[in-house]
Amino acid sequence: MSGTGERPAVLVYRHPGAPAAVVREVCAGVEEEGVPAEVVDAPDGLTATGLAHAAAQASRLEVGIGVDAAGATAVHHGKLPLDHPPATLGADAPAPDRRRIGRTGARVVKNLPLG
Amino acid sequence: MSTRDDGPTGTRLVVGVDIGNSTTEACLAEVGPDGSVSYLGTDLTRTTGVKGTPANTAGALTAIRGALARGGRGADRVATVLLNEATPVISGLAMETITETIITESTMIGHNPTTPGGEGLGVGTTVSIAGLGTAEPGQPVVCVVPPGWDFDDAAAAINTAVAGGAEVVAAILAGDDAVLVTNRLTRPVPVVDEVAAVEKVPLGMLAAVEVAPPGRTIRTLSNSYGLATVFELDPAQTRQVSPVARALTGNRSAVVVRTPSGDVTDRRIPVGELVLRGAGKTLRVDVDAGAEAIMEAVARAQPLDDAHGEPGTHVGGMLAQVRDTMADVMDTPGQPAVPVSEIAIRDVLAVDTFVPAEVRGGLAGEVALENAVALAAMVRTSRSRMQLVADLVSEGLGAAAVIGGVEGEMAVNGALTTPGVDRPVAVLDLGGGSTDAALLTREGECTAVHVAGAGELVTKLIDSELALGDREVAEGVKRFPLAKVESFFHVRHEDGTVQFFDQPLPPHVYARVVVLSPEGPAPVPTRHGLDHVRRLRREAKRRVFVVNALRALRQVAPGGNIRALEFVVLLGGSALDFEIPDMIADALAPYGIVCGTGNVLGTEGPRNAVASGLVRAYAAEPVRSGPAAPVR
Repeated sequence: MSGTGERPAVLVYRHPGAPAAVVREVCAGVEEEGVPAEVVDAPDGLTATGLAHAAAQASRLEVGIGVDAAGATAVHHGKLPLDHPPATLGADAPAPDRRRIGRTGARVVKNLPLG
Repeated sequence: MSTRDDGPTGTRLVVGVDIGNSTTEACLAEVGPDGSVSYLGTDLTRTTGVKGTPANTAGALTAIRGALARGGRGADRVATVLLNEATPVISGLAMETITETIITESTMIGHNPTTPGGEGLGVGTTVSIAGLGTAEPGQPVVCVVPPGWDFDDAAAAINTAVAGGAEVVAAILAGDDAVLVTNRLTRPVPVVDEVAAVEKVPLGMLAAVEVAPPGRTIRTLSNSYGLATVFELDPAQTRQVSPVARALTGNRSAVVVRTPSGDVTDRRIPVGELVLRGAGKTLRVDVDAGAEAIMEAVARAQPLDDAHGEPGTHVGGMLAQVRDTMADVMDTPGQPAVPVSEIAIRDVLAVDTFVPAEVRGGLAGEVALENAVALAAMVRTSRSRMQLVADLVSEGLGAAAVIGGVEGEMAVNGALTTPGVDRPVAVLDLGGGSTDAALLTREGECTAVHVAGAGELVTKLIDSELALGDREVAEGVKRFPLAKVESFFHVRHEDGTVQFFDQPLPPHVYARVVVLSPEGPAPVPTRHGLDHVRRLRREAKRRVFVVNALRALRQVAPGGNIRALEFVVLLGGSALDFEIPDMIADALAPYGIVCGTGNVLGTEGPRNAVASGLVRAYAAEPVRSGPAAPVR
């Protein structure tokens, strides 16, 4: 996990077993909004929300996204309590919704409505 | 008369009750034999049923019992209940667009996708992404990407074509991935995305795509001569496309496709003439001349006897609709139906407005602001059944109930209990359906007028101008100040002050413009900024309440001269609004009169004026003898 948080970016913490397709859609959602994203391999043992919270703590933009082994996702902000993620998504969600998780993360950074 | 008519000390317990359009108010007082009044309690409840109908009884009894409870008196001690003679005034609203933008052929995409890609202007022939391979080298093309194309694949296909010599100058995408595609192009071009009906973009036609840099709006396609330059148009054709330019103004990105038969028509719907009868003359005014012309005609036909719309036109339909609604409202079971011809429109307020309407034939849900006219019409009816309500109240309470006075006069009477007010005094009752004014001269003469348009019209204007489509949300925008949610923990109010919260604000209000209702921040579903919403809200209030305040005061002021007034007291529900009283006071400031929100009895604010006015009128001239009979 070295080197993370150096450049201002939305950090995407991915579980070692996280499906690549999910990570791709999430990152595409962030990129389409014009916000930098950085994928980081996170240690095992956290839920998507836990990963997102940890990522948000490390991000210089204070926004993190977590992707767990099953492909569930969550967005978090560094100043929010762990149990108040702005958005979460189940593992079986369709690709456009995963794109939207990335978009939500980016929009928290840009201070734009999340909907 | 019964023994409780006079108490042991000769005092009588009376309750004034004001049944209004939305609220019913009561005022309990003891009136001494010398006419002295001591107020014991007031109450306020929702009006049950339509004002002036027997259904009001339940609400009236609730308010009376509420006031009795507060005053610590039993219903058995009430000598008389005093009801207001409700002004037989009902108002109706109608709104009609008077312009419509129609695209007869698919020629234009003008919307603001949140994230277009690239920037600049690209002009070329439209080609489907699947047909890019066959594009002639050196011929500029605009690539059209249908739904289902992944951004990596689309970018790769364009890059391959460009490597093969094709000159791709722009792209139009169905999905929301313009930035993703642009980021992957070897040669970036302007890209417009989120075009829902991309399959309707004609292929093989000359098209122009423009994307402005962040923070800018397009310059070429929103300029008629820019379009003429791009498409080499002659002056006649330029005239034809000028509505396109107008529709694209203010966008960050746009597409114009030139199809041979395509044109956009800016058609004015025949709105028709409004026929105003009054002051011994008949005036006709074209509704599409706008609100100012209509109101000028209305002013010349004062007092208005009736208004009609030219049959077969929009205005004819609008007024017919108002009349039909009124007839329905006044109908009661067991009574003959009110003939529509009996309903005379006694005042009209016209307001210029605009309605965001989807452009017919647009490809991406384009919205054009169409001009519209909103009309509030006020009807005076001959039927008030307050006497029946009085009889029912009497039965329900077991005490006498009489009609104690006419609303306007009673309102002035109650307003006089506001500290610092003296005759001559004018009241402005800012209600939901109508704005009422009444003047009490130094000599004690009272005149009252009712003009159409009040709180409900403001709500309607806000609703349609912000395209909310939700009356409740519009009501919230009208009633509460705005704020912008700036983080999960703080909001900035419309005056710039910042408020912090201990608990994180819910994600659905994040970064939104919200109204601060007592239940917490509620999002206003709009892409407009706070300043825009605020300006629009204030404009709606100004166009209704400030215009009507001046109109109504002119009608009661001696010689129509507002300067001749001394004290103006604002009453009614909208006098509790957080800015309407200030706006009216500002508008009246140049006339050198004292204007402010009433404080009835020194405690009730702008509420309870009619109810306490009834008590005061009774104390001055009590209905002591004979059976319960109306004062007039």
